[in-house]
Amino acid sequence: MNKKAIVVLFPIFIVFFASLFSSKHPDTLETFAVNQGFEKQAKEIVLIFNDYNLPFINNQFLSSFCAGIIGLVLLYILYKTIKFFEK
Amino acid sequence: MHIPDGLLNNNLAAGLLAGISIIFSYCLRRVYKITTTIPLTISENNKNIGVCTFGFFNTTNEYIQKLTIIAMWVFSSQMFNIPVQSKISAHLIGGVFTAVIVGPFAGFLVISSVLIIQSIFFSDGGVLALGANIFNMAFIGSFISYYIYKAIVNKNYYLAIFVASLFSVLSAAFFCLLELSISGVVYFSISFKNMMYLHLLVALLETIITLTLLWLLKFSYE
Repeated sequence: MNKKAIVVLFPIFIVFFASLFSSKHPDTLETFAVNQGFEKQAKEIVLIFNDYNLPFINNQFLSSFCAGIIGLVLLYILYKTIKFFEK
Repeated sequence: MHIPDGLLNNNLAAGLLAGISIIFSYCLRRVYKITTTIPLTISENNKNIGVCTFGFFNTTNEYIQKLTIIAMWVFSSQMFNIPVQSKISAHLIGGVFTAVIVGPFAGFLVISSVLIIQSIFFSDGGVLALGANIFNMAFIGSFISYYIYKAIVNKNYYLAIFVASLFSVLSAAFFCLLELSISGVVYFSISFKNMMYLHLLVALLETIITLTLLWLLKFSYE
């Protein structure tokens, strides 16, 4: 396989593996919040791709994988916009 | 390390957001300037990963295209939560990785863009707290860390990555704690030890993942 293709496909592989194996335990800041007792002060704003999941897909893996791919596409669009304003 | 909404004082959050907007626009201008001057600045040295400002990006057309790829690498890596202790997980920040590859200005831009997408579409980090998150992870974690890396890289590449990653994670955690204590959420002196202890393992993880990603990218482009 072309090595440059590997560079482009790598984030998709990572999103795939993240959807399968990503830990569901709280991260360090959430753990810190629990330890210090301020976790309930945080306001959760519910968005369409909340917590890297799509609400209309029941399968956990597919939901997380699709959300990750959408994130990559959004980044691509953002950088296309940056490129558009380059000149 | 994404601070959610509701924790930070509104004045502090707004102030940081305003400050970060100025730095963001300056970095964007510098990136646009880089895209027009790369053909003039390219040399044998800056083709080698680890000793350069612009990495292996050597044509104007490819520069922003490759910033996109680096942003995608960071986004996907941040999605992957790795267990570091029982019932605690951590993920890459990616500040040192991006800064080493594309330099401090583009590094700041890449991490900021990832944080903006995460906060607006995935509620990973608050929208009002975006200024604080960008300050902690993109400005301190990437922009400033790059100069730590640059100061040491001539002596030892691996030591430079290790020290810069350690600085990146621990100083981001330090400023996060400072912002929370200014907002009256925690007491700085009481929480300092807990915050630093939790992020020490994250810093080691950051070093390992940064070295792996840099090796993979170098391998792919050679």
